[in-house]
Amino acid sequence: MNRRGITVRAGVLAVVALLAAACGSPGKPVDPAPVGEAAWPQPAHVGGPDASAGGGSDTSCNPLASLAPDKGISIPDGSTMAKIKERGKLIAGVDQTTYLFGFRNPTSGNLEGFDIDLVNEIARQIFGAPEGHVQFRAITSGQRADVLKKQQVDIVVRTYSITCARKKDVQFSSVYYVAGQRLLVTKESKATKLADLSGKKVCAAKMSTSAAKIATDPAKLVAITVDNWSDCLVMLQQGQVDAISTDDTILAGMAAQDPTLQVVGDRFTQENYGIGVPKDNVDMVKFVNAVLENIRNSGAWQNSYRRWVEPSLGPASPPQPQYQ
Amino acid sequence: MTSTATAPGPTAPAPGPPPSPPDGRDRAGGRSGLLGLLDLPGQGVRAIVRSAATTPGRLTVIAVGLVLLSLVAGLAATLSVQDRDDTISGVIDHREPLAAAAQQVYRSLSDADATAASAFLSIGTEPPELRQRYERDVAEAGAALAKAASDASDVADAAAPVDVLNQSLPVYTGLVETARTNNRLGYPVGASYLREASELMRAKILPAAQDLYRVDTERLIDEQDSATGFPWLATILMLALLAALVVAQVYLTRRTNRLLNVGLVVATAAVVVSLLWGAVALIVQGSLVGGGQDDGSHRVDVLVRARIAALQARADETLTLVARGDGAAYEKDFGDNAAQLVGPDGQGGLLGEARGLIKDGDGVAKVADAAKAANDWLKAHKEVRAQDDAGQYQEAVDFAVLEDKTDGSAPAFRRLDDSLQAAIDVGRQEFLDDTHGGDRALTLLAPGLAVLAIVAAAGVTMGIRERLREYR
Repeated sequence: MNRRGITVRAGVLAVVALLAAACGSPGKPVDPAPVGEAAWPQPAHVGGPDASAGGGSDTSCNPLASLAPDKGISIPDGSTMAKIKERGKLIAGVDQTTYLFGFRNPTSGNLEGFDIDLVNEIARQIFGAPEGHVQFRAITSGQRADVLKKQQVDIVVRTYSITCARKKDVQFSSVYYVAGQRLLVTKESKATKLADLSGKKVCAAKMSTSAAKIATDPAKLVAITVDNWSDCLVMLQQGQVDAISTDDTILAGMAAQDPTLQVVGDRFTQENYGIGVPKDNVDMVKFVNAVLENIRNSGAWQNSYRRWVEPSLGPASPPQPQYQ
Repeated sequence: MTSTATAPGPTAPAPGPPPSPPDGRDRAGGRSGLLGLLDLPGQGVRAIVRSAATTPGRLTVIAVGLVLLSLVAGLAATLSVQDRDDTISGVIDHREPLAAAAQQVYRSLSDADATAASAFLSIGTEPPELRQRYERDVAEAGAALAKAASDASDVADAAAPVDVLNQSLPVYTGLVETARTNNRLGYPVGASYLREASELMRAKILPAAQDLYRVDTERLIDEQDSATGFPWLATILMLALLAALVVAQVYLTRRTNRLLNVGLVVATAAVVVSLLWGAVALIVQGSLVGGGQDDGSHRVDVLVRARIAALQARADETLTLVARGDGAAYEKDFGDNAAQLVGPDGQGGLLGEARGLIKDGDGVAKVADAAKAANDWLKAHKEVRAQDDAGQYQEAVDFAVLEDKTDGSAPAFRRLDDSLQAAIDVGRQEFLDDTHGGDRALTLLAPGLAVLAIVAAAGVTMGIRERLREYR
């Protein structure tokens, strides 16, 4: 009986083994809907390192020396300003995405900010009042030189740093604001300088001096470049980059839109903002410099600064102009 | 002799063991089952050949052959008609609704993109009607996508775009909501979220939706073609059966000197009726389904492509304004899409093609409405560009997005979209009417052919048995 039981069991085992060999193993349950990595969507035209703007370290010229204004603000016949007046519109290349300096206020639909105030002051000196006499043209950082070279705009007021490389193509007014490059990171981040971000992704706008600094810094950063500064903010909020590095003015505007971010570290560059003018319009440069003199002395600069920048960056006074 | 005649086929060799050599039989018996089985067909053929040497045997072979042929031909014809019936039902119940769902996915998503951009352009709180429109677009896209996805599993070409759409749509809506929240807070980063959402839509989602529409439309055309193809096998078998019946009757007449054999005549009549009925039904069905393709789904396809071009152009128009001076690429894109829609002269393009195709029915008026609305819109667009280029940005925005500017862009585009939708609905109705008619032409044909085949088989059996009886 017992022996027979063993035989039967052996037989059953043999049959099972045979069936298993015939059918193969049952395998593993199939993943019904495999998903590769869920990639983040990206802003349009995201690129890599871009050093085309050149650095602020270029000392082949004195970038700050502009053309001295004539006495008083005047519009001679046949001048560039007279043509603008006849046209009825001052065409200004500005930013509509940089909070505090040039941005579209969604509740009013208007462009506002420190740079926009300057444009309005220049229009006021040409037309008597800025309302209805300014045509704003939103441009990216990368388009600033291009629209000036093609004479598509009369002025560019868009956190435009004066450098020797740029002065070859366009004219700059005297310095109206001095900023410096710093870092914007999340409050959890321990980074306080570029060296802390070695191998990490750092974002800047294309063809900006900040992008050039990131691309050439010895810290070996992974440079990410985008069209507009607020595209950098989107990517930082989505965790696609680890930091944004550019002028403290722009970073302050970003930090004001997101309480979980903070501006850290010291200024490691000096950025001198000037108003860009087409290369040949010498009279326009002198005119703009005269308007800037007026803005510095009349208190208009302080008013605008107090409204937009002071809450984030503390008190400051206008930089002194230098002329050739 | 008589006994062998009534027992034809493989049983025939049973009474005749002597002819087979004893050793051969021994060998066969000696072989174990499997090889013996292999020998069976050979034995059968030999037996048939032997019995066919006699008249009753020959008659039996003829009877069996004719019965088999009528059953096989009847089965082939029935299956072929049933298959065609199923194909047409599939076209009506699955393929066409799927192609429509795919175009709905595209339309809703593209409209959502343009609407989100319009809402962004409006000042302050976004207009509730734009918000509602966006919500409805997203809901429609989701519902249409679920429908399109339900049938994508058996087509790899459709599964890939459905996968992309299903994965990207929630991400898109998330980005739009983030943009909206920032916008409400007065933060310009909202505009960047909107641009990122729009980029996702235009670079990834809409191309996938277009792929899906293309795949579903190609499948619709394939199945329409297969529902109008010629049923070669069934036709050849039926004609062969008819010829065999005629030959058999001629043979019987010669052998028996009787002019008619009622059974065989009935069988022949059944086959002739099958052929005529089948031919008429298939011709009617083929022309109706073909009509559904030409008057219905082909026109719909042209109209859908016109609508896709219009939707893209509308999104380009709003995004040019969102870019505020930085929208040259969008404006160029608008030009390309407008040229696709109405042609370089404003008379051709996809709308011109639709006008050429639709010469009758309610569709004519709808397409004419669409063409007029398209021209109004392009005129309004020129005005928008002129204002924006002259620096009157706010006026340009109002003219482009406000629904109450009667000669503005928004109402003209709305009229264009509604007219195209109406024309598409007309085309779908015509498709449905025609194809349904084609389906009706096949009513009862499949069971009818089966019954007629059985009648033919029965006629053959009766007719030949009558003759065989005379040999008893």
